[in-house]
Amino acid sequence: MPRAPVANLWQGILPALVLMAGFFLLPILYTLGLSLTSEGAPGLTLANYQNFMAEATLTDALLRSLILALSVVAIATLIAWPLAWYLAFCVSARRRVLLLFVLVAPFWTSFTIRAFSWQMVLADSGIVGTVMRWVAGPDASLGFLYSLPASIFGLTLFGIMLITLMIYSSMVTIDRRLIEANAVLGGTGWTAFREVVLPLALPGWIIGAALTFIVAVGDYAVPTLLGGGLQPVLAQVMLSVLKGTYDLPMAATLASVLVIVILLCVAPLLLLVRGTRLQS
Amino acid sequence: MTGAITTRALALLFWVTAAVIYLPIGVMAVFSFSTARYQILPIPAYTTEWYGRVFTDGQYSAGFFNSVLLAGSVSLAATLIGFACAYSLVNARFPGKTAFTMLVLAPLAVPLLLVGIALRIWTTMLGLQPSLPLAGVGQVLYVLPLAVLNLRNRIAQLPKSHEEAAWALGASRLRAIIDVILPACRASLIATFILCFTFAFDEFVIAYFLTNFSVTLPIKIWTTLVTGFDPTINALGTMVFAFSLILGVTAQWLLLRKDR
Repeated sequence: MPRAPVANLWQGILPALVLMAGFFLLPILYTLGLSLTSEGAPGLTLANYQNFMAEATLTDALLRSLILALSVVAIATLIAWPLAWYLAFCVSARRRVLLLFVLVAPFWTSFTIRAFSWQMVLADSGIVGTVMRWVAGPDASLGFLYSLPASIFGLTLFGIMLITLMIYSSMVTIDRRLIEANAVLGGTGWTAFREVVLPLALPGWIIGAALTFIVAVGDYAVPTLLGGGLQPVLAQVMLSVLKGTYDLPMAATLASVLVIVILLCVAPLLLLVRGTRLQS
Repeated sequence: MTGAITTRALALLFWVTAAVIYLPIGVMAVFSFSTARYQILPIPAYTTEWYGRVFTDGQYSAGFFNSVLLAGSVSLAATLIGFACAYSLVNARFPGKTAFTMLVLAPLAVPLLLVGIALRIWTTMLGLQPSLPLAGVGQVLYVLPLAVLNLRNRIAQLPKSHEEAAWALGASRLRAIIDVILPACRASLIATFILCFTFAFDEFVIAYFLTNFSVTLPIKIWTTLVTGFDPTINALGTMVFAFSLILGVTAQWLLLRKDR
């Protein structure tokens, strides 16, 4: 076997390293640090966080972001498990590619355009509202657009796609003989799911749920276009600070709160992945 | 192992979900041909006027031009940086490799909003003016994980013997990469470029935070949406959707074809 020519192969990572360190890692660390400073006060201080906790509009926004993200993950999970099962075990391999494509394709286009198209459908004057007036009379009003449930709805569709995809990728790697063994031992479809598929596909769900949570808790387009501006989520408050008062330490604090929320909610999930890996 | 009735129910669930996902896009496409300024039913008459307006309104075409230029540069940079990075990750050993891999993939697990805000705060501190090139740098790190994952998979699949044959014939590392590895990855490289382009073309948050006056297409769409309705958006949205779909299909097809 010919020996590889001598070369400093690690040099290949240099451009990526410079980019990621200089424009991703340092900015985020700097932002976290900035949230601990305050104009007029030297040194590090928790004043920004105390101000955050004392301001009801901010804590309300945080609460809404949490309700939004957790509801999206919960509802999407309930729909994603059966969908992934269907894709992994009920259709032929050829058809599977087509169906996966059908599910994923709409999400290649921007959140903004998809959220806007839902605005047209969900508005009181939109398709759903019009059908409702045909069915329930001219006084029927949908009143769904510009509310937290409308934001939840919009992001849940994204969550269904992502979580289904992740669970599915775990399910297809499961050795079919395990499921056959379950059937030979008298197991039904339900026990096959509970005893074999669920534990083995759980890591896929965890990754899908974590990514969905992150997108939902940090999204700005859907809460603005479907949720409206009267009951803002954290992301909307953040943007209005940055485009309005331009109070950078405040913006940094809101961003840091988002980081903390994500770490608190996602870290237990990731520990769970590690736990399931150790078991199997 | 799944009963026939259960399978039927699952198929129904799948198609109902798909129908719900596609419904608004279909509605948008239908209204884009309506003569009415607002979405009223039944549609009074059909027209292609709004499509014409997309091309005659200077702001949309300027936004489109900026977006193509930005997404093109971003994807080219991400594909090149991603290739170098992927080759090293497959072939090299260096301390901190796991940590570095996590760093490169981290943007997948961080909300774009956070990346945008942190970059805005950071560049303000450095005294850099918001501009399209700055937004481009932010978008490169956003699509880089996709490029690295795609290309790493492809490079890892290549038979080692081809590169070794080049070495035996006296080629240097770099020569072998250029003459053997790059051609073998051609389809994956094109697919990666297209995939990065799709995401960069539609990217809104980073561009919104890191530019002041330059307008990309997503920013133009956004400002039009929040300042008042313009039926041109129906036509534009339908076109952007079709454009993204074509790019996405091409990229996936190239990736599935496995470079042959």
